[in-house]
Amino acid sequence: MKGTVGKAFVVVAAILSLVMAASTGFAAETVKVGVLLPLTGSQAKFGEIEKRSYEMAAEEINAKGGVNGKKIELLFEDDTGKPDVGRSGVEKLISREKVPVITGGYSSSVTAAAAPVAQQFKVPFVICTGSADDITEKGYDYIFRINPPASEYPNAVRSFLQGVAKDVKTAALLYENSAFGQSSSKSFEEDAKELGLKIVVKEGYQAGAIDFKPILTKVKAANPDMVYMVSYVMDASLLMRQSKELRLNPKMFVGGGAGFTLPEFAKSAGDASEGVYSATLWVETLPFPGAKEYLKNFQKKYGSETEYHGAEAYAAMYVVADALKRAKSISPKDVRDALVKTDMKTAFGPVKFVSYGKKTQQNKLDTYMVQWQKGELEAVWPKGVATKNYIYPTPPWDKRK
Amino acid sequence: MDVFLQTLVAGILKGGLYALIGIGMTLIMGVMGIINLAHGQLMMLAMYVTFVLNTMGVDPYLSLFVAMPLLFLLGIVIQKFLLNPLIKVETILPENQVLMTVGIGMVLTEIARFAFSSDYKYITTKYANQTFYFGNISFSMALTIAFGIALAFTAAMFWFLLKTDLGRSIRATAQDKDAATLMGVNTGRITVVTFGLGSALVAAAGCLLAPVYYIFPDLGGPFTAKAFIITILGGLGSTVGAIFGGVTLGLAESMGATYFGMEYEDIVGLAIFILVLLFLPGGFKRLTKV
Amino acid sequence: MKKNLYPLVLLAVLALLPLAVKSNYFLHLMILFLLWIVIGSSWNLLAGFTGQVSFGHAAFFGVGAYTAGLLFQHLQVSPWWGMALGGIVAMLIGLPFGAICFPLRGAYFALASLALGEGIRHVATIAERFTGGMMGIMIMPTFTSKVPYYYIALALAILSVLSIQVITRSKPGYYFVSIREDQDAAASLGINTTLYKNISLSISAFWTGMAGALYMNYMGFIDPHVVFSLHDYSVMAILVAIVGGVGTIYGPTVGAFIMVAFQEIFRTGFFGFFDYLAKATGSSTFTTLSGAVHQAHVLGFGILVIVVILYLPNGVVGDWEKIKRNVFRINPAG
Repeated sequence: MKGTVGKAFVVVAAILSLVMAASTGFAAETVKVGVLLPLTGSQAKFGEIEKRSYEMAAEEINAKGGVNGKKIELLFEDDTGKPDVGRSGVEKLISREKVPVITGGYSSSVTAAAAPVAQQFKVPFVICTGSADDITEKGYDYIFRINPPASEYPNAVRSFLQGVAKDVKTAALLYENSAFGQSSSKSFEEDAKELGLKIVVKEGYQAGAIDFKPILTKVKAANPDMVYMVSYVMDASLLMRQSKELRLNPKMFVGGGAGFTLPEFAKSAGDASEGVYSATLWVETLPFPGAKEYLKNFQKKYGSETEYHGAEAYAAMYVVADALKRAKSISPKDVRDALVKTDMKTAFGPVKFVSYGKKTQQNKLDTYMVQWQKGELEAVWPKGVATKNYIYPTPPWDKRK
Repeated sequence: MDVFLQTLVAGILKGGLYALIGIGMTLIMGVMGIINLAHGQLMMLAMYVTFVLNTMGVDPYLSLFVAMPLLFLLGIVIQKFLLNPLIKVETILPENQVLMTVGIGMVLTEIARFAFSSDYKYITTKYANQTFYFGNISFSMALTIAFGIALAFTAAMFWFLLKTDLGRSIRATAQDKDAATLMGVNTGRITVVTFGLGSALVAAAGCLLAPVYYIFPDLGGPFTAKAFIITILGGLGSTVGAIFGGVTLGLAESMGATYFGMEYEDIVGLAIFILVLLFLPGGFKRLTKV
Repeated sequence: MKKNLYPLVLLAVLALLPLAVKSNYFLHLMILFLLWIVIGSSWNLLAGFTGQVSFGHAAFFGVGAYTAGLLFQHLQVSPWWGMALGGIVAMLIGLPFGAICFPLRGAYFALASLALGEGIRHVATIAERFTGGMMGIMIMPTFTSKVPYYYIALALAILSVLSIQVITRSKPGYYFVSIREDQDAAASLGINTTLYKNISLSISAFWTGMAGALYMNYMGFIDPHVVFSLHDYSVMAILVAIVGGVGTIYGPTVGAFIMVAFQEIFRTGFFGFFDYLAKATGSSTFTTLSGAVHQAHVLGFGILVIVVILYLPNGVVGDWEKIKRNVFRINPAG
């Protein structure tokens, strides 16, 4: 008798607890986080990498208890790579979904167009990739940026020129006519002036050109010590292939981020990619907590490659979750106040929003130099994080094996 | 001097490829009097055909023999079922056929995007990076081959239009459609064949371009623009004109890039286009009469 | 009498709409719709009524937007002054273009206008110092609320449609149509065809430029690829007019509605319906389907164009009788 009552009690308790669990599970409040990314259109490839990184990070956070017991729910909004669509996407997130915080922002122009919307509606926007300098120069107090602005991408190149390549006196500057290309070229010119580097050729081009030989011929005639290029992946590949065809032999070829670090660049350019340097924001070998694990887990989970854009997104999710945990309440104002006090280490590097120069609420990070060696991308500068020694100067094309 | 010669070589080699892109357009425009704004998109499809065959181990130049017939068929279907029916329809704007090609171009681009995503595809071949040198001037192997094939195709088209019955019917239709109909030419069929031929020719251009360039769904638009610039330069329906137009455009772009700056490359093309429209309507054809 | 009632009813509904609808998102779509009425109607005046098919209306739109943006950028003048000037500057660009290119006919004019739009885009990209290049121009929008923009857009739409209606029913309008129908005959009747083409172009450019200036004020961000986009403006303007009805007064209005609705339905995957299904059923088929629908909006546009040109060559308004007839024939039977 006693036994059966006991059994019945256990069963009832079990059922009750199941129901409770189910009902709390059902009614469990989620914390909505809006994410603005290009999921279709020509930038969709990177949008997809970032989306997956956000999802991966959110799953990890939710598995560890979410935000104070509430699960994070990601609401993705597709900006299709167009500024006006991005703006209406942000508006929709704010006015219809009532999200307390927005993150994402891939292309510079979309991010620059979307940021004022978030600012006007006073909803914090944590940018992970959009790099045009002026986004954080407008004094917006609801806009935060994790990645360095475009002008700081070549910082490592600068220190490399000062520390190693001291004999580089002249440079050619080739850049694509995009927001990223134009602002990078401007900051490189300023750096060059400070370093006493003479820019002998400066050429912008429309992305998608078939034939770079005319400008490369011009560069060859000017015979610079260094060629600095800001190009997207396929233009980068053509530039290097045609440089090899023309036997253009500077002491070093340097890419300013963007396309030069992607696996497709080396695959499509073949041996023409050998020895090419690039500025980058992140490599998995950096001594940041979770950096290597991020790369490994991503490859395991999705069976595809990721790179620094993914790491930016992954870190952004952790920064947002951290602020949500610390916020007094889940309201845009409180989340914003919590974000201001962010001071944490992520897989992408330490994150702390500071003001310097004209910039406000901008995370300050080091940048790095990588070099393609035997088809592998190796970190070479600064010395502390190098996986291989740099090869400088790069040997002339016809002296290579 | 080297700079000038190298620019000259680069321009002429690129021009050969442009010519092949332009021949198809000039045929279509000459015979039907419509601008085919899906021309570049047809080339894009041919490039994807080349890409798919390449993943199966077929050399890009051999894929000519697959891509050309395929695109010929596609061209026939487009003309027969989408463009020809419009002739009979009463509309306010006679440009409906042109607008139709805009729609076709959009559909082709998006189909490619669905099938292959927006990612860049590329074909790696042994000879794509090969170069030979005359003195200090380098010649890209792939572009030189492309130039040769483009010339061969032009010669073949020239002969075809001049010497065969079908070719003569095409020329007759281009010169005066009504008269051709009266002479017993089935002009409806001729337009279908012409569109097929034009598509096949631009497919050839796609196969030759694929090894030296890369492939993505949106590449059609800029090449459509180049094609009509070449056509206007060379004169409607003139194959020899297309060669002149292609090489002129290639040279102008290269010279412009070297001596003005690469960012002016496209503006040079557009400026030439407007100048020819205004001062030499009819293009080179008017000067050479072929 | 009854015929004139529809526009009035529509007008009343549109005027009262912000009182009933508070959703910013919905108002945003309505503003886009109103903007497209302006652009589509302007294109229609030049192409539909005067027969000069333009593939370069993005040039006028972009010039209007840049007028407002640059005034602010260089002179710190409120971009609202650009509203007043944008249309006029667009007109000033249109005049020399028209003077040079109107001797060209049919497809040649279309190509020349395409070259104009693309040329200006390149110039705006390269002239970095003056235009800011691809970094674009950013301003802080004046109002947080959508309502003021809505009413400005509404006023612009009404004024442009009204002005076009008045013109097409006056003497110049008849000249426009006669040029479209047979230019040589019109010239032989003593109509100065170049002059009247230019008048039509000027009005068309003016309203398109105004729309561009409003876009700058409303969106707060422009760059050359956004406002001079061949696909997003030049071609879209054509599609709006064709779908609605070329050469009709209200065709572009209907077309603008269809196109904006169409784009948004696809972009949101039938307003999240597919996403909802995917979530509710947990089926991966729906997830893929939802992804496909998101991507399909341009494909949808393309198919819509093909279908409309094949079956409704005069657009929804132009072929309204045909639609009604077919619908009525089906109704009693089925």
